[in-house]
Amino acid sequence: MIFYACEIPEDLYYDIEHDVWIRFEGDIAILGLTDVAQTRCGKFAAVSFRDVGKKVAQGKTLATIESAKWVGPFPAPFSCEIAEVNEAGFARDILLANKDPYGIGWLVKVRPMNLEAERGHLVTGQEAAEKYKERIKELKINCLRCID
Amino acid sequence: MSKKIRLLYMEGVSPLRSQTVYHAVAYAMKEDTPNTIIMVSPNGPYVSIGYHQDIQKEVDLDYCTKHNLPVYRREVGGGAVYLDNGQLFTQWIFHKNDLPATLEERFKLYIDPIVQTYQSLGINANHRPINDIHVSGKKIGGTGAAQMGIAEVLVGSLMYTFDKKTMSQVLKVPSEKMRDKIFESLEAYMTTMSEQLGSTPDRAQVKDLYMKLVSEALGAEVYEGEWTAEEEAMAQEIDARFTSDEWLYQKGRLQQQGVKIHQDVHIVEAAFKAQGGLIRVIARLREGRIDDVSISGDFTLLPVFAVGALEQSLRGVAATPETLKSKIEEAYYRLSIQSPGVTPADFTTAIMNAVTPPQPA
Repeated sequence: MIFYACEIPEDLYYDIEHDVWIRFEGDIAILGLTDVAQTRCGKFAAVSFRDVGKKVAQGKTLATIESAKWVGPFPAPFSCEIAEVNEAGFARDILLANKDPYGIGWLVKVRPMNLEAERGHLVTGQEAAEKYKERIKELKINCLRCID
Repeated sequence: MSKKIRLLYMEGVSPLRSQTVYHAVAYAMKEDTPNTIIMVSPNGPYVSIGYHQDIQKEVDLDYCTKHNLPVYRREVGGGAVYLDNGQLFTQWIFHKNDLPATLEERFKLYIDPIVQTYQSLGINANHRPINDIHVSGKKIGGTGAAQMGIAEVLVGSLMYTFDKKTMSQVLKVPSEKMRDKIFESLEAYMTTMSEQLGSTPDRAQVKDLYMKLVSEALGAEVYEGEWTAEEEAMAQEIDARFTSDEWLYQKGRLQQQGVKIHQDVHIVEAAFKAQGGLIRVIARLREGRIDDVSISGDFTLLPVFAVGALEQSLRGVAATPETLKSKIEEAYYRLSIQSPGVTPADFTTAIMNAVTPPQPA
């Protein structure tokens, strides 16, 4: 779905409150900022990741993002262990998430630790599209991507 | 917003506390904590660095040690800044749902009462979106935003005075020429209440004015409240973290270009090795144009006044390779410039290396 220039792929899962997308691949979950989140955040200036192997509780910080105007956490949508971070990608190009939030702009790969108990708030497909429409209207935003 | 807002007024706290208080209120915030505004001023000078800066790359630590200037890393972004009692920091620690969702609107809400305070004092300040405050093109304080725990934080200051000389001294820069350029640019593009009014306004009057204007802007009562035991405990914890080497010397990740003077003005520096010698460039960029440029190096350029003439001819020129090269070629033709082993294209490359540094392979 594309709504007010915000892309919300319907094959992904979303933690809407934290604006995090999740792609499940086997026992790994790939996480990133949604188009809405990268737009609100603005152009990245720096990202610091927590260490691979670190166990992070639901809602706690997996990485800290600094954009031109704001600093804030990238939160865990569920309790997990960090399996891989996209540090090399962001070192090559700090604007990865502003250019391709659902592809090369992923932030962290994790192993969920208590997924069945903690996935109740995640949405996908048509439900996610409808909820994001509401959120985008509420936020009154048009999404923007960086080209170079 | 109809909720009451707690004001914590803290003039003359230690430099460390002037930073840790807002982190403490934010991290101690619970669902029932009131939205809080802190007005705080340090009782001594210090240097504050941005969350992702590398202290050893950005700050002249020898100068700071020699002058007893502590350095603290904040959890707000941006660059290193020298701070002292001449600024009254205005820090908002609010619940997310009590602030606008977008940063643009959030900064507007935060900046408007500061601008109105200046205007009430007779200073023609205005909001330069997204987050600067200007008076006739000069910056009178910047602002920043962060999320800490469940709190959304906005920080900035009311600028009574600003020590531009010391600000230029505390930064680690590649050359003294660059330092001079920073100082000169701060003089040209920063201002304060004292400069604008010819004297420093009464601090109690400024506080009352700001409180009144904030109350009007937010449609909420602002009351002078108390600092809680939980917040003090949190502040002590953060004091310890902020003074630890582990926190202060953590790896810097911020990718920034030169020194930002304000939203539209940056100082950049670069060198380029041409066949006929090394070309060094320090440029001040304003809204994508060369505002000022210094060219030096070990190349030969004749006639002797050619370097100055070249610098002069580049002022106001758009910082793009095509326009720079054409302007330099024009100066070469007009002044019959001779430069063995150095071409207009080399000067263009040197300047463009400063404007957009080449990416590592």
